[in-house]
Amino acid sequence: MRGWIVGALALSCCALTHGVNAQDDLMDFFDEGESPSVVTSAFKAGRIINVQSPETSGKGEMNFIIAHRFGRISDGWYALFGLDNAQMRMGLDYGVTDQLQVGVARSSFGKTLEANVKWRFVEQKKGGGSPVSLTGYSVLMRDGMRFPIDGIVRKDVHRISYVHQLVVSRKCSPELSLALVPSLVHRNLVDNAEMANDVGTIGAGFRYKLNNRLSVNGEYHYLLPRPVEDDFVNSLSLGLDIETGGHVFQLHVTNSRGMFERAFLAETTSRWQDGDLYFGFNINRVFQVGDRR
Amino acid sequence: MKYILLFVCCTVATLAQAQRFATRDARISFLSETPVEDIRAESTEASAIMDLANGQLAFQVPILSFHFPKALMEEHFNENYMESERFPKATFRGTVSGLDPAQSGAQNVTAKGVLEMHGVAVEREVSGTMERTGSGWVLDAQFEVPCAAHDIDIPKVVTENIAEVIAVTLHAELKAK
Repeated sequence: MRGWIVGALALSCCALTHGVNAQDDLMDFFDEGESPSVVTSAFKAGRIINVQSPETSGKGEMNFIIAHRFGRISDGWYALFGLDNAQMRMGLDYGVTDQLQVGVARSSFGKTLEANVKWRFVEQKKGGGSPVSLTGYSVLMRDGMRFPIDGIVRKDVHRISYVHQLVVSRKCSPELSLALVPSLVHRNLVDNAEMANDVGTIGAGFRYKLNNRLSVNGEYHYLLPRPVEDDFVNSLSLGLDIETGGHVFQLHVTNSRGMFERAFLAETTSRWQDGDLYFGFNINRVFQVGDRR
Repeated sequence: MKYILLFVCCTVATLAQAQRFATRDARISFLSETPVEDIRAESTEASAIMDLANGQLAFQVPILSFHFPKALMEEHFNENYMESERFPKATFRGTVSGLDPAQSGAQNVTAKGVLEMHGVAVEREVSGTMERTGSGWVLDAQFEVPCAAHDIDIPKVVTENIAEVIAVTLHAELKAK
């Protein structure tokens, strides 16, 4: 009899532990199979404001970007706070893969034509893997202004400049993303002999999501010391991203009027402290033109 | 005597262990159907596990594993609707009834349990079919998920493009574990 009781007790114990374990065990199966997952959408658009974000067009996606920087806000009513006078950039970015993008653009500023390539070669991952994403960006710019007639012989190659940069980005939380962007600007021709052909900048940017469709963005670029004094200053921009479904509207205030890398990184002349600011926007419209798979 | 019973008990436990069937590449697809557009997405990275001994069934799918024909749709799905960073997975855990393990051919079964997605758990009863195969079970089910039930907010401007009720199709080939 005692044997029976002990046995029954053991059995029920066994069954009980088994029953209790069962559901947890089932869920354990999911935890075992866990692999690191890619962190996506650190920023909303391909640019934080002026500078590149880690985002690229998805495979087969064509992103049409139309951007304006108006005149000085400080011009007041006479120029409707700068709205009378706009600089424009139109660009197309195409996603060759989900990580590799090629683009062309034309800016009215300096009548500049661009060709660029952007590659996110390391993805940020959660649950193991890289804590940051790494994106390389290179752009070739061609100045289209007529050469001045001043007796100096210039060739077509003198119109060309390049910018190479690395975007180190981390989405720290669903709301906050940060980016660190060192850049190298090379100009084939500069205005005078003392000016350096190469200039470096260290930039930083952020995005803070206010809700699923609205975020605050900012970026700052520090010009590294140059061999001679010049009038160029650091670039600071603050703005809002508004997402409407098919479009991303980026509205901002900046002291840089050019919308391609050489201009805003290395050739910004207006200062925030003088109130020389420009209102502007980027509109991103995406079209799926190629196959995703 | 008690040793025999202990032995029996342990054997039962072991047998129960062997009655687990699982997969890590179950297919879950969904369709949002409106007169304006049909939006489809599919994941082949869903995991499923079933314990035949007690009929318990669990599914889990990473939200980020759903792929769409357009990259922008995928971004909107993850960023605006499912908030996949905050709620990275959808799960179902429940119990299957109406299953006769000995029977061959497809049989209708019902799973009763909790479907959790977008951080909201909803009691559900889902019917589907199960069929014994050589090495395991094939499970198929179709059910509907009303977005509102899981606090998935669809803004007015896109109500013509996104259905309020999403049709979900599920196919899992469970193998003995």
